[in-house]
Amino acid sequence: MGVSESEESSLLLDEKLLRFMEQLELLEEKRATFNSLIEQGWFSMSKARYTMGNKQVSALQYASEIEPLVCVQTRTLDNGEMEFTTERCTQTCSKESGKDQRAIEDIGPQEEGVRRRNRPKREIAESTSSDKAPAGKRDHNAQQDPLKWFGVLVPQSLKHAQSSFKQVIELSAEIAALQTAVLSARQELKHSLQNKHTPGERLSNSAGQGSRHNTSAESKQEEAEKQLSATDSQ
Amino acid sequence: MAACEELSFNVDHGYLEGLVRGMKAGILSQTDYHNLAQCDTLEDMKLHLQSTDYGKLLSSSEGDLTVSLLDSKLRENLVTEFSCLRSNALPPLSTFLDYISYSYMIDNVVMLITGALKNKDVSELLPRCHPLGAFDQMAAVGIARTPAELYSAILVDTPLGQFFQDAVSECSLDEMEAEILRNKLYKAYLQSFHSFCKSVGGATKDVMCPVLEFEADRRAFIITVNSFGTDLSSTDRSALYPSCGKLYPGGLKLLAQAEDHEQVKAVADCYPDYKMVFDDPEPGSDFKTLEDRFFEQEVKLNILAFLQQFHFGVFYSYIKLKEQESRNVVWIAECVTQRQKSKIHNYIPIFQGTS
Repeated sequence: MGVSESEESSLLLDEKLLRFMEQLELLEEKRATFNSLIEQGWFSMSKARYTMGNKQVSALQYASEIEPLVCVQTRTLDNGEMEFTTERCTQTCSKESGKDQRAIEDIGPQEEGVRRRNRPKREIAESTSSDKAPAGKRDHNAQQDPLKWFGVLVPQSLKHAQSSFKQVIELSAEIAALQTAVLSARQELKHSLQNKHTPGERLSNSAGQGSRHNTSAESKQEEAEKQLSATDSQ
Repeated sequence: MAACEELSFNVDHGYLEGLVRGMKAGILSQTDYHNLAQCDTLEDMKLHLQSTDYGKLLSSSEGDLTVSLLDSKLRENLVTEFSCLRSNALPPLSTFLDYISYSYMIDNVVMLITGALKNKDVSELLPRCHPLGAFDQMAAVGIARTPAELYSAILVDTPLGQFFQDAVSECSLDEMEAEILRNKLYKAYLQSFHSFCKSVGGATKDVMCPVLEFEADRRAFIITVNSFGTDLSSTDRSALYPSCGKLYPGGLKLLAQAEDHEQVKAVADCYPDYKMVFDDPEPGSDFKTLEDRFFEQEVKLNILAFLQQFHFGVFYSYIKLKEQESRNVVWIAECVTQRQKSKIHNYIPIFQGTS
């Protein structure tokens, strides 16, 4: 009875580990895409500067006070499976009118990424401020595609830059969600490992046959712990 | 006597033509560009630029060397050279050089207007304006609310006043209006410049008129292509096309009706000069934007100016080639800072081989 329980928990652990690894891989892929999109965006902006003139695509073109068009909303998922009390970003990357004051990146020249409104996704998430949001958004609606700040007839490269940065915004929400998922999976794994440890010890103490079983369990545990420490360093 | 021009040109303008030709010899060569492209940092580039005619351009700069600073210094250099030429010029060369500066004035005016729309302080905007386009009433430009106000209150006494015939309107200045204003002013400016060169006649007319016609056609194409997907209607658009180019009148009419890139290409196919620009690139070569190809054509036309003597075209071409050179150097600097070395050779070399 004890043996099949520990087998079961090992299988569960394996599953969790695999899921964790998959999420990690996905995260790395997304990060790589994220980096290349950002590079692309900045480079397209340089091309636009080449065409339009250096001072035509610079800090002069945007006002010092701007309303964000895309904001990030966080919501605690109440999943029956995992009992976590910490708050984290949801997987359903819903963008709504919250308040987001970060996002002026200081990479290279002092420019900002372009932002846009994400109207269709509004229906998906329940948000507290949805009453205020439509009114406020309709005011801004008349205004600002940030592309217009640089003139009405802008070259294609600037439009490419805008679309790259739009994709970056989407991706960054996904990455944030994935990161928290990865962290929680890691926690899970740790917990499961610890839980597995105690039955394992009981086994070795009670039966004497445990040695081979123990070493195999321990080696698996060691691998899992190595993984955990690897994600720690990330 | 038919060939009078050559006999009397040097009396008034010989010194300046000599000066320009000397400056033209200092334009960066293929080797220089090659060296610059090998650099890994802006500091390296600064070192390499010291061995060119730019000399100690960047060594006196305090603070971090950035691409923006590099651009400003290159521009300063050009402005110094231009001022030297302008301050020694006699009519009609002085009028010619003034015409060159008007295009920068138009850009400055639009920059000040759009800056005012964003509530930027005039003191922040003025240093960033192009020095070649400076004029007395610049600081007041941001106050105007409509083009009509802009004209009657501020610009009527400036050289730009003469370009306002079509551009006066009562619509309040927003981004769209500012863009329309820019293009209308530029259209009037180009047409005026073209007729001036025609009136000067001789070699100046032979050299400058093709260049200005190309400029007019280029603007028509670029306005059309960039207006796809924006709120600019075709009627509005056709009012912005300069009429001193080869496309006038038939090509411009077709362009006004074009709704996508294919139709624009079809218009360009009727003109051998522009067919080349819109052609699909050969497989395997770098992708070049439309603007890049137009820049290439412009460089080719401008180089031709130096083949003849005793005309004013050399001054215009020199300024334009120097601008292209600045663009090239800044492009290389951007590639270096962003570590995109693969695209670094997208600059346009000006004098292939020996000049």
